[in-house]
Amino acid sequence: MKFSRIIVVLIIAYAGFSSVNVMAQDAQSLLKKMDNVIFSPKDKQGNVEIYLINSQGNEKVREAVMLQKGTDLKIYRYTKPESQAGIATLSLPDGVMWLYMPAFGKPKKISMLAKSQAFTGTDFSYEDMATTPYSERYTPSLLETNDQNYVLEIIPKDEDSKYSKIIVTLNKGNFYPEKMEYYDQANRKFKEATYEYEKIGNYWNARQVIMADLSKQHMTKIILKDVKFDQGIPDEEFTIEKLAPNNGTSE
Amino acid sequence: MEKLAKAVLNLRWFIIAVVFILTVFLGFQISNMEINSDVVSALPDDDPDVALFKKVGQDFGGNKIGMIILEADDIFHNDVIYDVKKLTDSIGLMEGIASVTSITNIIDIRSDQFGFEIGKLIDEYNLPYSDEDLLRLKNRVFSKEMFRGVVVSEDATATLIMFTLTDGADIQTVGRAVIDKAESLQLDERLYYAGMPMMVTAISELISRDLIRLLPIAFLVIAIVLFFSFRSVRGVLLPLLTAAIAIIWTLGIMVLAGYKMTMVTNNIPILLLAIGSAYTIHVINKINQVKEKDFKKAILSALSYIFIPVTLASLTTIVGFISFIFEAYLTMIKDFGIFTAVGTFISAVLALFFAPAVIYAFSFKSKRNAIQENSNRKSLIATYLLLPLKNLLFRHPKYTLTIWSLLILLSSASIFLIQRNVDIKDYFKQDNPARLAEDIMIEKFGGSKPIFISFKGDVQSPELLNTMLRTEERLKESSYVFTTQSIADLIVEMNDALGEGRQIPDDRDKIEQMWFLLEGNSILKQFVSDNLDEGLIISKFASSDNAEKEEFAREMEQFINENTSDAFEINMTGMPFIDMKMNRSLLTSQIRSLLIAILALILIVGIILRSFPTGLYATAPIIAAIVVLFGVMGITGIPLNIVTVLVASIALGIGIDYSIHVISHFNHSYKNGKTLDEALEDTIMISGKSIFINVVSVSAGFMVLIFSEMVPLQYFGILMALSMIGSGLAALTLLPVILILAHRRRLS
Repeated sequence: MKFSRIIVVLIIAYAGFSSVNVMAQDAQSLLKKMDNVIFSPKDKQGNVEIYLINSQGNEKVREAVMLQKGTDLKIYRYTKPESQAGIATLSLPDGVMWLYMPAFGKPKKISMLAKSQAFTGTDFSYEDMATTPYSERYTPSLLETNDQNYVLEIIPKDEDSKYSKIIVTLNKGNFYPEKMEYYDQANRKFKEATYEYEKIGNYWNARQVIMADLSKQHMTKIILKDVKFDQGIPDEEFTIEKLAPNNGTSE
Repeated sequence: MEKLAKAVLNLRWFIIAVVFILTVFLGFQISNMEINSDVVSALPDDDPDVALFKKVGQDFGGNKIGMIILEADDIFHNDVIYDVKKLTDSIGLMEGIASVTSITNIIDIRSDQFGFEIGKLIDEYNLPYSDEDLLRLKNRVFSKEMFRGVVVSEDATATLIMFTLTDGADIQTVGRAVIDKAESLQLDERLYYAGMPMMVTAISELISRDLIRLLPIAFLVIAIVLFFSFRSVRGVLLPLLTAAIAIIWTLGIMVLAGYKMTMVTNNIPILLLAIGSAYTIHVINKINQVKEKDFKKAILSALSYIFIPVTLASLTTIVGFISFIFEAYLTMIKDFGIFTAVGTFISAVLALFFAPAVIYAFSFKSKRNAIQENSNRKSLIATYLLLPLKNLLFRHPKYTLTIWSLLILLSSASIFLIQRNVDIKDYFKQDNPARLAEDIMIEKFGGSKPIFISFKGDVQSPELLNTMLRTEERLKESSYVFTTQSIADLIVEMNDALGEGRQIPDDRDKIEQMWFLLEGNSILKQFVSDNLDEGLIISKFASSDNAEKEEFAREMEQFINENTSDAFEINMTGMPFIDMKMNRSLLTSQIRSLLIAILALILIVGIILRSFPTGLYATAPIIAAIVVLFGVMGITGIPLNIVTVLVASIALGIGIDYSIHVISHFNHSYKNGKTLDEALEDTIMISGKSIFINVVSVSAGFMVLIFSEMVPLQYFGILMALSMIGSGLAALTLLPVILILAHRRRLS
């Protein structure tokens, strides 16, 4: 199924961009292959450990249970640290986010207008966490092909982006990104993400992601455990009412 | 002495070679000289106020915040907003800059019935353009304490672009780069640069500019004075050569010992030029005076005579410098004391060993010529200056005494008028951009002198946060505090956005959970320690008036004592309080270093002249000169500051030499059977001439500092010249009169 989808994508891409040169087309298809690896599961769930590591090497740990359906629906329920246990976030389409904090009771809608802003203390920005496929947001070109990797340069279509470009190193066999290097508007590399994958069922799971902010010398390590794909999670799990524990019946 | 003198001449080539090698070696070291213009680093670590200030600056990065002030007729104009954005974006992309905050990218929290929006005050990709948009923005800015008077001035004519430096960044490099970048944009608005990093950059640029510009001028001025005094190549070149070598050695040793150039040590080269050349002048003068046909014998005889006077002169000068080492508050003044003492020692050694070696080795035989010139000039100075002076003194000794007494009386009264000034702003000339920037900060942004109040304890406890709020309220009761910032303010803001009102939540859980949203926000680092055991109130104080500072400190201390609890500890520090200490220390360090210097000199001179009363006579003229110096400071309003505080003790160390000269000469003549009048006439006519030349050349050297870029150094130059003239004059007028009167009384 995955393969056939790629073929379809390739055909569409070929038809649509037949006037563009072959290299650009290759790059575009490679980026779509990457999107496929990242975004193809219908749903996934698992336990997330988030390590915030500062320049002195001090660690802060957060843990959450994560549910995701498609690319647009996402819920995080934090379990650690104890002081933040019970906090939950719900991401809905169009960048809408709801936050539940047990001490305050009612869930609140938050809009984050600043895309470049850090996502609650991590080195990921809201832009990095976006769920729209890369191939829709970036214009790629193939820089290099070697024994193990394709190296793509992708340039954001959105001029609001904090990035001037991202250099993506793709695994040649499986099309998952091994490394992403982020360049600021002055064309200096300032962030770097490295990925480790494991195969679970039909999918490649990013078991560990490390995002390093080179100028702040700060790192965020995200470990995804106990991952299950395509469990058929119903849409009802992603409602505001579900943010509070016990299905929102108590506060 | 003669043995030593012979050794100098025999080992002449060896001495020259050693000096040459050392000079080359130490000269190379100077290329590694670094400038440290960070005033904070010069503060003493053992002062608890300072220790806390430094720690807070380091832990919370407060010393690394720089500011660009953008001034325009109206900030809320689309062109101006556009330029602010341009500036913000350009600075943000520079190497060494960690973050930039300005009106175009500052975070704003808004709330409605559903929730809240963490966004930005201005949508940077859709800048406000219409009058309506701009008015809305203006109202928003002035409705929030976070922005009003913090980012935009109350009169809407100035806005701040604040930036922080990355941890490893070199302050001066980044500071200069920021200025260059901002200027290269060629904006229509006026730009100024403030904050510690920019101040440090400005001062260090002034220091290096001074060094490069002033030293050549000083060399030239002294060369001219020397030429008119000696009219020989030897008389000009040799003093300058030894002074140059002494400067190179001293600076080289400074580098080797790991010291950096500061705004006080900056004047070491000029000081050494003035002092160092004088010792060689002494030596050459003596060689010129010896009426001996054989060149070698002439040098030998001169050298064995001059050895002791030059050693003593340098010894007394060193005492003046060393008096700072014990009593200075600022470490840069201690450094100054140490290295001027070292430099003085080197100058004396070079004058006594190197200068004669060179004269002999290269057979500088302009001797006859020099003597001729010498006697000519002697008659010139003698006829028009010394002779009338001598006549006046002999005819009217009591007149002279009365004039000096009146002068001293008047000066003593004026001493109480002396002002003290430690305000860093006043280091700069009126039209210096750094000073203008400071003025704008004071006028439009509530000052530039940071105050920090640290709360050690559980930062997430409602009790601590509420005390923080109360402390901020109390701070703002002062008429000189306009803005305060802290984590408590942020919590109140968040709580409000969450629909719970403008207050600190009573429930600790709420505060802890709010942290989920705050965490990772770069502003948090400025207010709270990483492990949440220390929080900070950041404020500014707008007055440079010392009495205001004292009163404010007293009131705040009382408030803090009343509000400290078992759960947390409150400590206050800040530049205004450190200024207060510096201000107090100016007086104590002035008095103590002067006392140390005077006592040491009376002792040394007493030992040299083998009579304690003579020691007192000798110090009397220089003390009189210093009293007059203080009087001038009181009347003209030249303040005591971290540089002018040095003048009195240095003047004491240098000026005492004139008195020693006069007394030695007088005693020598008197004991050799001359009458009182003859002996005095001899002294004034012969020693008077060398004192005159010395006063002129040393004062001229110091006067070059008038061209300094830094106000304290200008004052230093003027006051040093003044005290040289004063002590020279006192040694030639007051001292002879004292001697006349003392001897007359004894005779009668």
